[in-house]
Amino acid sequence: MELLITALIIAAVLFGIGLYGALSQTNLVMIMMGIELMLGAAMVNLVAFWRYLHPEAFSIQMFVLVAMTVMALEGAVGFAIATQRFRTSGSVEMEESAELKG
Amino acid sequence: MTPFLNSFMISLLFVGGVYVVAVLERWSMTGNVNWGGPARSFLLLFVQEEIKTRKHDKVFFETAPILFIGVILLTISILPFSRGSVIVNLGTGALFINAALVYVMVSLLMAGWAVNGVYAMVGGWRALAQLIAYSMPVVMALTATVMRAESMFLIDIVESQQSLWNVLYQPVGFILFYISALAITFLPPFDLPVAEGELAGGVWADLTGARKLLFRLGRLALVLTLSVAVVVLYLGGWMGPWLPDFVWTFLKSLLVAASFFTIGRFMPRIRHDHLLEYNWKYGVPLALFNIFQVGVVLLL
Amino acid sequence: MISIQLILLIIFGLAAIWFGWRVFMTSSMVRSALSLLASMVAIGALFLVMEAEFLGVLQIMMMGTEMSIMAIFMMMYMMDPGGLGNMDMTHQKNVSIAAGVAVTVLVTGAAIFADWGTIATQVPSPHEQIRLLGMEILKRSMMIFETAGVTILTGMIASIAVALSIKNNAKK
Repeated sequence: MELLITALIIAAVLFGIGLYGALSQTNLVMIMMGIELMLGAAMVNLVAFWRYLHPEAFSIQMFVLVAMTVMALEGAVGFAIATQRFRTSGSVEMEESAELKG
Repeated sequence: MTPFLNSFMISLLFVGGVYVVAVLERWSMTGNVNWGGPARSFLLLFVQEEIKTRKHDKVFFETAPILFIGVILLTISILPFSRGSVIVNLGTGALFINAALVYVMVSLLMAGWAVNGVYAMVGGWRALAQLIAYSMPVVMALTATVMRAESMFLIDIVESQQSLWNVLYQPVGFILFYISALAITFLPPFDLPVAEGELAGGVWADLTGARKLLFRLGRLALVLTLSVAVVVLYLGGWMGPWLPDFVWTFLKSLLVAASFFTIGRFMPRIRHDHLLEYNWKYGVPLALFNIFQVGVVLLL
Repeated sequence: MISIQLILLIIFGLAAIWFGWRVFMTSSMVRSALSLLASMVAIGALFLVMEAEFLGVLQIMMMGTEMSIMAIFMMMYMMDPGGLGNMDMTHQKNVSIAAGVAVTVLVTGAAIFADWGTIATQVPSPHEQIRLLGMEILKRSMMIFETAGVTILTGMIASIAVALSIKNNAKK
């Protein structure tokens, strides 16, 4: 039981650090790093549930694969948006992106 | 032979193999075979004074060579040299080779950034582009061999080649893995990141002494390791007539390494955009076609 | 009951948390990206300790490539890549610290006080796991897998389309 609770607490602390990063940073790339930490914490949770509660259900591992795919994809699309933003306004600071036009 | 004698002979043969590969590298650059050359270079770099650049990044400067060598040692420990001689028979062995090659790329990135010099940094970014690009055909060609063996144990992949070696069963996959192995160890003709004529030495331009020795020695060990991987995955591993198993592995992998250096001697350096174009436009579709072909032949 | 698995979980977990903390506390950009890589490798090691071998090796491999790409993008777009000037680039700091701490406490409370049932002890071997995962993908979860494939294709086309530079004479 303490193995499961240790893994869940580790994932909770990682999620908290990721949330702090995603809310407090002004730069788009640093916000994305916070989001990646949150997804990593969710994956640790999933694998802990698979190992300690249901090792016969492999749909949980399928869920982890889908989460890894989402991590890679949101990185790619986020960097594409950062590239276009840098081209039009010269910086990727989110403080200056309050307007919808330009 | 007893297991202890076996592993001792294998380590001795590996160190001898690295020495032969060093002699071959000198031959591919200058054209004459010099059997005492590597020993003299080793001693020279070992006692050379260590010059550190101003305001280098301390963490990465120390970590990059250690990561490079550590990754290569990990890869050696999962490759089977004969049926009983594998240090760790990992259940996901075929995927682990690719994972280790990614960390070769990370260590080159660290080494390029750490020295705080323009040429090293640009060489590091070029190495990043080249190694990401050529990791894609590696993982797809590996998938095709795993499809035939129906397991990711490297010993099972060799056993599955009893009837027909993979080089004849999946020729497209062999060619792609061979070219990608040339590109991942940045040997000529793919040696833009560390070329002497290109960026004044590229990633290794500002390194001296023990660090440069670790990188050069590690690169030669990486060449031998990837040759053993080519032999295990495509050329039937340890299978052969009357010599003992591991001697066949080393003979075949030294032949593959010699062919790497022969190609490097006689081809001009490929330009950066051609390098990436050959990979993304022609290499990846060919790798997907290879998976399709192996699947069709397996189902027939 | 202290077992080797618990000790390894605690060591790798503390490494992941420390490297994750260092991501936001350092001012050099490449160090930040590579510290995130170290945190992800520690998470992959956690997967290996919890006997999900394929997922662990996959995580370590993918995160290496992804974080290196992130390092080069940070170099391109951020103002002080070397980190030699000390700038504080955060906003609404108190709100975000409060949110992070609140979420951590909530999830930890849910983990400790919930009733999890019996703990399983029999786990298939890695070779069996890969085979069963393959069977799962191609039998029950085939629809999810194909949707993921089409989503990846859409993501690739979308990111290339967004990042293309439109050379319009009217824009200049």
